[in-house]
Amino acid sequence: MTTPARADGGFWAVARRPKWIAALVAVLAVAALFSLLANWQLERSIDSSAAERPDTETAVPLRTIAVPQTPMAADAFGRTVEVDLAVVPGDAVVLRDRVNHGDPGWWVVVHAVDADGASLAVAAGWAATEAEALTAAAAVDAGEELGVVTGRYLPTESPQQSDFEAGERSAIAVAELINLWSAPPDGVYGGYLILAQPLAGLEAIDAPAPSRAVEFSLLNLFYALEWILFAGFAVFLWWRLVEDEREQELAAPDAEHGDRIEPTGDPGGAPGTEP
Amino acid sequence: MAIGPRAEDLPRIRLVLVLYRISAAFTGVFLILLLAFWITRYTVGDFAFFPTTGTFGFYDKELIEAGGGINLTVILLIVHGWLYVAYLLLDFALWRLVRFPFSYFLLVALGGVVPFLSFWYEYGVPHEVHRRTAHLTNPSTAGADA
Repeated sequence: MTTPARADGGFWAVARRPKWIAALVAVLAVAALFSLLANWQLERSIDSSAAERPDTETAVPLRTIAVPQTPMAADAFGRTVEVDLAVVPGDAVVLRDRVNHGDPGWWVVVHAVDADGASLAVAAGWAATEAEALTAAAAVDAGEELGVVTGRYLPTESPQQSDFEAGERSAIAVAELINLWSAPPDGVYGGYLILAQPLAGLEAIDAPAPSRAVEFSLLNLFYALEWILFAGFAVFLWWRLVEDEREQELAAPDAEHGDRIEPTGDPGGAPGTEP
Repeated sequence: MAIGPRAEDLPRIRLVLVLYRISAAFTGVFLILLLAFWITRYTVGDFAFFPTTGTFGFYDKELIEAGGGINLTVILLIVHGWLYVAYLLLDFALWRLVRFPFSYFLLVALGGVVPFLSFWYEYGVPHEVHRRTAHLTNPSTAGADA
């Protein structure tokens, strides 16, 4: 540092000084750290939860993944379940505007209780017309039974205010169904069941397995990108600081390098300050 | 190249300063929102909007995806990330143009990460810039405030 090296040796003459070599090592360490952070975010951006998600296609007893009167657990989503159900007659409801394989139609939603008496909303099937749906609903209310069924367990939808005002229903909302059922349920499941085998007169509701494809999290992907930018920026800053020192020495050769000349001190001393 | 700020850069300095202040305000507000949503993420869940029902709510992020909701927490985090990149670039541009110390550049950079600090610099940086460019706008006072 004591060598009064002249700056006109070019960029590398300044960059070779121990101070700037030390700074470069520090900057590279910072850049390496940022790269590690980018790598960490990149790993996180690949949604590992998709691969770790439980097998949704092997039927399990409903009770093992869901508890009545509690919110639905995230890993219960889309699971194929098996449950012994008894229909509560008189509580069947039809929902409009339910699309199945691209066709608009109607759902029949049955009120059923499991062996422990907890209520479950069951989407029993799809029909293209309201008349067919109402016929199927009437058959359920007239005593059609369910027994041990399998189906896909899905989270409740939100009740729709506009539908309620219009006296129509298109959402399968457990909170709303409870009010429609004839007797207050003794515990209710937070989700609903789509029957794999529809009731007579209805078509099966299309309920594909939840995607197990690897999902990218945009958030972590963008964070990774930002860390890469910051790493590059750190190296660029080092270059800029070395270049600053060189320019400073070229402008004021007598100044000791490393000391920044306060711009307010003598603006006339540096070229280019005059307009 | 000059060591101090140059007179011909003054219009650019003013422009970058205005952009910096706007960026500081946005970054600061988003940082506070980010803190709030970070807390909800680990308590009640992500904040989401459901276009089909027109409702807002806090849910587990997988349930938001399943319900076709727009995860506003994630959008907020992404937007803040890029706002900070813009903030850092403007900080850098100011440092190049005004030639304030590198340590001050680093402190201002921290303003986009530490909650509420950006509001301090939103007012502190213009002051610092004016202090360092005063002799250019009014040459008669050159050196008077050194």
